[in-house]
Amino acid sequence: MRLKRLLLLAPLTVVALLVQSYFWVPTYESQAKANPHRLRMFIESSIGDAKILNPILNADTASSRIVGLVFEGLLDLDDNLQLRGRLATHWEVGEDIYLLVNPAARFDDGSSITPESLLDRLRSELLAGTSAEDPSDPIRAIELLPPEVRRQTVEVPGSEAEGEASQVEVQLTLPPRIRFGLSRVVPDFLDRIRPIIGERYEQTLPRSTWVSAPAQIMSAIDHARLAEMLPVLEHNPTLVFHLRHGVRFHDGHEFDSDDVRFTYQAIMDPRNLSPRTSDFEPVKSVDILDRYTVRVVYKRLFSPAVNAWTMQILPEHLLNDEALGREMERRGLSSAARATFGMRESVFNRAPVGTGPFVFEQWQSDEQIRLRANQDYWEGAPEYSEYYYRVLPDPLTQEVEFRTGAVDIYAPQPHQIARYRDDDAYQRFSSLSTGYTYIGYNNRRALFQDRRVRQALSMAIDVDEIIRYVLYGEAERTTGPFPKNTVWYDPDVEPIPYDPEGARALLAEIGWHPNEQGWLEKDGQLFEFNLITNNGNLVRKAVVTIAQNAWRKIGIKCNTQLFEWAVFLEDFVNPGDFDAVVLGWSMGADPDLYQIWHSSQTGYGQLNFAGYRSPEADELIVAIREEYDAERQRTLTRRLHRVIAADQPYTFLYAPLATRVLDKKIVMVNPDGTYSRIPDVKSGDVFYSFNRWRKLDHVPRF
Amino acid sequence: MLIGNVGFGLDSTSGEVMEMLAYVIRNLLQRLVLLFVVSVMAHAVVHIAPGEPSEVDPSNPRLKPEDVTKIRAAFHLDDPLHLQYVYWMRDLLSGELKSFKDSQPVLPKIWDRFLNSLPLFVTATVIVWTLSFPAGIHAALRRGSVYDRSTTFLAYALISIPGFFFSYLVILSVVELFGVPVIGMRTFGMEDAAPLFRAMDRLWHLVIPSIMSALVGVAILSRYVRSQMLEVIGADYVRTARAKGLEEETVVYTHALRNALLPFVTMFGLLLPGLIGGSVIFEQIFAWPGIGRLGYDAILARDFPVILTINLIAAVLTLAGTFLSDILYAAVDPRIRLQ
Repeated sequence: MRLKRLLLLAPLTVVALLVQSYFWVPTYESQAKANPHRLRMFIESSIGDAKILNPILNADTASSRIVGLVFEGLLDLDDNLQLRGRLATHWEVGEDIYLLVNPAARFDDGSSITPESLLDRLRSELLAGTSAEDPSDPIRAIELLPPEVRRQTVEVPGSEAEGEASQVEVQLTLPPRIRFGLSRVVPDFLDRIRPIIGERYEQTLPRSTWVSAPAQIMSAIDHARLAEMLPVLEHNPTLVFHLRHGVRFHDGHEFDSDDVRFTYQAIMDPRNLSPRTSDFEPVKSVDILDRYTVRVVYKRLFSPAVNAWTMQILPEHLLNDEALGREMERRGLSSAARATFGMRESVFNRAPVGTGPFVFEQWQSDEQIRLRANQDYWEGAPEYSEYYYRVLPDPLTQEVEFRTGAVDIYAPQPHQIARYRDDDAYQRFSSLSTGYTYIGYNNRRALFQDRRVRQALSMAIDVDEIIRYVLYGEAERTTGPFPKNTVWYDPDVEPIPYDPEGARALLAEIGWHPNEQGWLEKDGQLFEFNLITNNGNLVRKAVVTIAQNAWRKIGIKCNTQLFEWAVFLEDFVNPGDFDAVVLGWSMGADPDLYQIWHSSQTGYGQLNFAGYRSPEADELIVAIREEYDAERQRTLTRRLHRVIAADQPYTFLYAPLATRVLDKKIVMVNPDGTYSRIPDVKSGDVFYSFNRWRKLDHVPRF
Repeated sequence: MLIGNVGFGLDSTSGEVMEMLAYVIRNLLQRLVLLFVVSVMAHAVVHIAPGEPSEVDPSNPRLKPEDVTKIRAAFHLDDPLHLQYVYWMRDLLSGELKSFKDSQPVLPKIWDRFLNSLPLFVTATVIVWTLSFPAGIHAALRRGSVYDRSTTFLAYALISIPGFFFSYLVILSVVELFGVPVIGMRTFGMEDAAPLFRAMDRLWHLVIPSIMSALVGVAILSRYVRSQMLEVIGADYVRTARAKGLEEETVVYTHALRNALLPFVTMFGLLLPGLIGGSVIFEQIFAWPGIGRLGYDAILARDFPVILTINLIAAVLTLAGTFLSDILYAAVDPRIRLQ
């Protein structure tokens, strides 16, 4: 019977064919024997795929990881989170300061000020007796600039009838100005020249005579706006970068100062919709001094700007208008597509060319990204010849692949780490990351306005318990707004102790007393609020439950709810319409907290959604931005840390540890050819020495 | 009796051909209208659902409100819904529709993922269709036997156990017992091995996910075959065949089976939509870069162009599939006439 035989043979053949394939697949022990090249490959696994491989456009961790291997910035952060030169060999920070000459002012001795007399006075007082080499005196030049006409757009509030603010262009006729060239940034320069120019110098400044605009616009520009448009002293900090010679992009084109300027222009080009514009907005100009020297001039004091130059550099010759035009030709785009074509649409974002230690080879979406070693890398080619970024969207899958040797490194979940802790078949790295998790209170709500209430709420929660049981010990307590592994964080601030009794006493002080059912009450009002967070994050969900329970113990009624991320942001966080939220921040290495904590950032969709307002904190935040001296900056950040910790606008819970497990056969090669264990790095960046990693065919003994 | 007349009943008069043609044209037009309605509804539902494309995610501290406004304008997110629909259709038909997520053209993206899902789909289908028939026929012929009862039990067990859970158990035991990689489309680091090794490696990676996604199919289809077979085996013409003195094997495999198979022919048509659906759960667990995951990720990222286009293709395939199965049914069963 043909049909009967077919019905039996077909399934048997299919099953046999499928099962025999097992015998061809390498196991963990045999992977190098059958295929020695495996030792020259590094396979990293990630939950998510990259989105766009362009340093000025990407905003996700997966893309940043690949971009960090293919591209390089002028600077980067070393193992102690200090700036280090990469494409720039070294750099100098200085500033130009412009002083408006006030024709109406008089010196303290009564003589009237003319541009020349002011210049003479300043020169004789400031330059006398110092030499250009004296490091304690930063002033290098003082010169007089002629009057100048400049056009500027200003925003004017609309009239009462119209109401809308509008942008108008006005003409400024600047008086003569005096330019000071300084070899470092001196934020308090005005105080230093105060004895020369006199106490009342800027009060008599005839600013309105220098602005020409129609009368109704002039009337709309108030005094504060004028002072902003025409500051008596304009700080223009400058950065001069000296670029490394002979560095080549992966296509052989030499890197030079044009690429630096191009990268800046690309970030600021509104067509590119770069998410990094805010880092570069304070830049006034990027000037090419010569092929290997670039000067960046800033509009105002803004110290986090130096960190922004860890931004990786794009190749101009592949992305300028001419190159994009050629690409449009090649791809034969329609005129509608041409009209909107920009860097975002370029194929470059899926096949990037940089100057970094690895060269891009291939990207298969949601599967892998493949890179190969850059043999021409200026610091010497990396040990590995190939790098793979594998996308494994499921944590268990990652573990399975890691244990079968098809992945060399991955970031396990806290409960998985507990398994690896007792398993010395693998290397494990744990370090603080730059993020933290918190319970944020809506400081606008009357209930939370008294800081003692917020302190009491923090005292009622046993954070150590959360760390031990929810995070399997994979976190550390944190007490303030800075990442715990930076110098900005003040280690002397003590965490708020777990003290439910103390919390109850503190609340009783403000008039919250338990009623018959045991709930706290004040003037007939129950102490009741909602604690919410986003759905899908199991740790946050657990924190919500623990907090609810902890507060119930001291008589506070807390209702909890989870929302889908988009709804959570749109309906609650953005409009600031919530009582309390559990959330986390992931921070940069710079100490700028303006967006999260400044009182001006409490509007719709802004990041200070907790509505924290403190004049003292505001002042410190701005001072930190304007301070260029790391030592003094640290004093300021620690003071800010203490101010915010005392106010407790958040209950600062914990800073999670970033943990990775690594194949034990992987070691670091020393310059002398021997190898050693891969070191723990203070910055938390396991990959700091990645270019020197190598995989052995056996497990080494140290 | 219909025995021996399972061939295509197309030896009909020209009147019947005309009738058939009219049916086909009318049916196609109806389906086009339906497709339009489906696409409009899908478009509206996707856009009205809460959530924003991740590119305008307000939680990104690096993104300023102005930038969000610019991106929204570039994606036409603030235009009225019907205009957005027109833009979508225009871009789709001109082939210039791009994903929000990475600005890549949508159609090639879907095609690539389709090619990845295809082997998984084909292997799983082959397993389902080759295993179900012998299993179901055997159970029907020995109705009430230990074999029949245990396969029934097994089938219901397989239908009830969640596929993802069972897959995890299988993955863990295979890794524990054999220590070989099972995740993804192939083992990493095999690029420099001989072609035969690489081919076998790819085949091995197909084995577990395709078996896992086929299991429920086998369970359901074999039950279906069993009940069809039972129905046919009690029919008059089977008794007649036996009465003629034919061998039992001929009775079962020629006379009964052919008629029992009739309904399954139409199921071929219904396989079509499965091509685009992929298997979200298995592709996610086995890190298979297929079309199911593309759709799933697109939904999470609110990547409207990708969601809508996959949805549209699925609608087209579903409509084409039901159409095809109507035609097939009429072709193989002369009792059915399309009108």
